Amino acid sequence: MIYIVQNYGGSLLSGAATTMAIALICTFLGCVIGFAVGLLQTAQPHKKDGAIKRGILRVVKLVLTAYVEVFRGTPMMLQAAFIYYGMGSVFGINLGMWSAAIIIVSINTGAYMAETVRGGILSVDPGQREGARAIGMTHMQTMMYIILPQALRNIMPQIGNNLIINIKDTCVLSIIGTVELFFTFRSISGALYTYFEAASVTMIIYFVLTFVCSRILRAIESRMDGPANFDLATNDTLAFTSGLTKYNDKTGGLH
Amino acid sequence: MAEIIKVEHLAKTFGTNEVLRDIDFSVSSGDVISIIGASGSGKSTLLRCINLLEEATGGKILFHGKNVLAGDMNEDEYRTKVGMVFQSFNLFSNLSVLDNCMIGQVKVLRRGKEEAREYAMEYLSKVGMAQYIKAKPKQLSGGQKQRVAIARALAMNPEVLLFDEPTSALDPEMVGEVLDVMKALAESGMTMLVVTHEMAFARDVSNRVIYMADGRIEEEGSPKDIFSNPRKEKTKDFLSRFRSERGE
Ligand SMILES: Nc1ncnc2c1ncn2[C@@H]1O[C@H](COP(=O)(O)OP(=O)(O)OP(=O)(O)O)[C@@H](O)[C@H]1O
Ligand SMILES: [Mg+2]
Repeated sequence: MIYIVQNYGGSLLSGAATTMAIALICTFLGCVIGFAVGLLQTAQPHKKDGAIKRGILRVVKLVLTAYVEVFRGTPMMLQAAFIYYGMGSVFGINLGMWSAAIIIVSINTGAYMAETVRGGILSVDPGQREGARAIGMTHMQTMMYIILPQALRNIMPQIGNNLIINIKDTCVLSIIGTVELFFTFRSISGALYTYFEAASVTMIIYFVLTFVCSRILRAIESRMDGPANFDLATNDTLAFTSGLTKYNDKTGGLH
Repeated sequence: MAEIIKVEHLAKTFGTNEVLRDIDFSVSSGDVISIIGASGSGKSTLLRCINLLEEATGGKILFHGKNVLAGDMNEDEYRTKVGMVFQSFNLFSNLSVLDNCMIGQVKVLRRGKEEAREYAMEYLSKVGMAQYIKAKPKQLSGGQKQRVAIARALAMNPEVLLFDEPTSALDPEMVGEVLDVMKALAESGMTMLVVTHEMAFARDVSNRVIYMADGRIEEEGSPKDIFSNPRKEKTKDFLSRFRSERGE
């Protein structure tokens, strides 16, 4: 084991870096795709929209549903082969290793995230939307400032989950030759015939990556929640925030 | 007094269920109108139609003479002028008390941050919640939430404020603090339309009472007319049933 670490430490680390880079980029892009798709899927036609607009929305929703179902319903390893070799032989487009890897994992994550986001949006209390509409916010403003922030908070655990899954699942990219952590493991074990030791070291690395990520995500979640307690504003800060003139000691504060 | 809202022949059906029929009434500046009636008589639906949260299926809503339902006026702009306080508060749970009262001003009315903060503080002080600006809604009691919701609505400087059973979701000991705020608002000249089961409020604070039954306005008049000399049988029945339930 020590031998592996001494001689292959560098390539293991760069494999780990590749894995992390792909996982982070793809989870992020997957979230962007997921939010876009989830938003469209929960969009309701405006009551004044004509038949054409309604028709377009319905077709778009159908296509998106197909995307979600297909990419959730097939193994990512096959999707990788399909897209990488398919682009090459059918369209003659040679995707670089990196772009192929990123495209595949992103759209795969996007399919999962779309469902998560849809659920996250639907789980926000309808009263929140009504409260926003009642003060004149447009649909877009309601989404941007009220619904999506709450949906995002609700689905943070699943986003974290997706990141962890992506860290591990990038290993299927070794099928198209991406030199990530798992690929490095196979090279080492192939060269040295020390499967057990190589597997142990690689597993430890995977575990450290996922464990650190999940702790960081927890920290982000509790930051989003804000402090568990709040301070009562004192007269000084009140005077400050209200521009000194407005706050009246007699009418303010508690009854 | 200047007429603000005039509702003409308003109708609303859900499928085949006629929930509102031929509703006619008007709201003038300074009016405090209480809407009473049995559960299911359509009171909430009426307010939600006026606020455009439900789409009326017939009739007109005129705001200073402009028919809102026909698109004579931008819906979102209309909504800023007709505020709403909900039974379930509907405070934005991702925002602090202060931000709840500022976001509409900043994003919808396009006020500057400083100005918005001053208005927010002014109204939060009015409802006695100025100290709680940093709190999140879930850290507040029901009565406190409702007072913040009232401040949020006031901060938009609406011409009319609609209340849908603002105290029904509250524990009994918190009803008073919200009613006190509403009473003070009424005395300050705010135009209000209040759906309520608080008969004392309807009798003592409002200048007009509308009794609804089966989706219609059954009787309308001064609190004295409705509570002391109801003309319609249904009104009498409702009030006596109500009194006996409350043991009055
Ligand atoms: N979204 C809806 N879809 C179908 N029917 C509805 C809907 N909202 C309300 N109704 C029906 O409309 C009628 C009036 O309801 P509404 O909530 O306006 O009554 P209410 O007078 O406010 O009653 P309460 O005092 O219990 O609040 C009821 O019969 C109700 O079932
Ligand atoms: Mg109701």
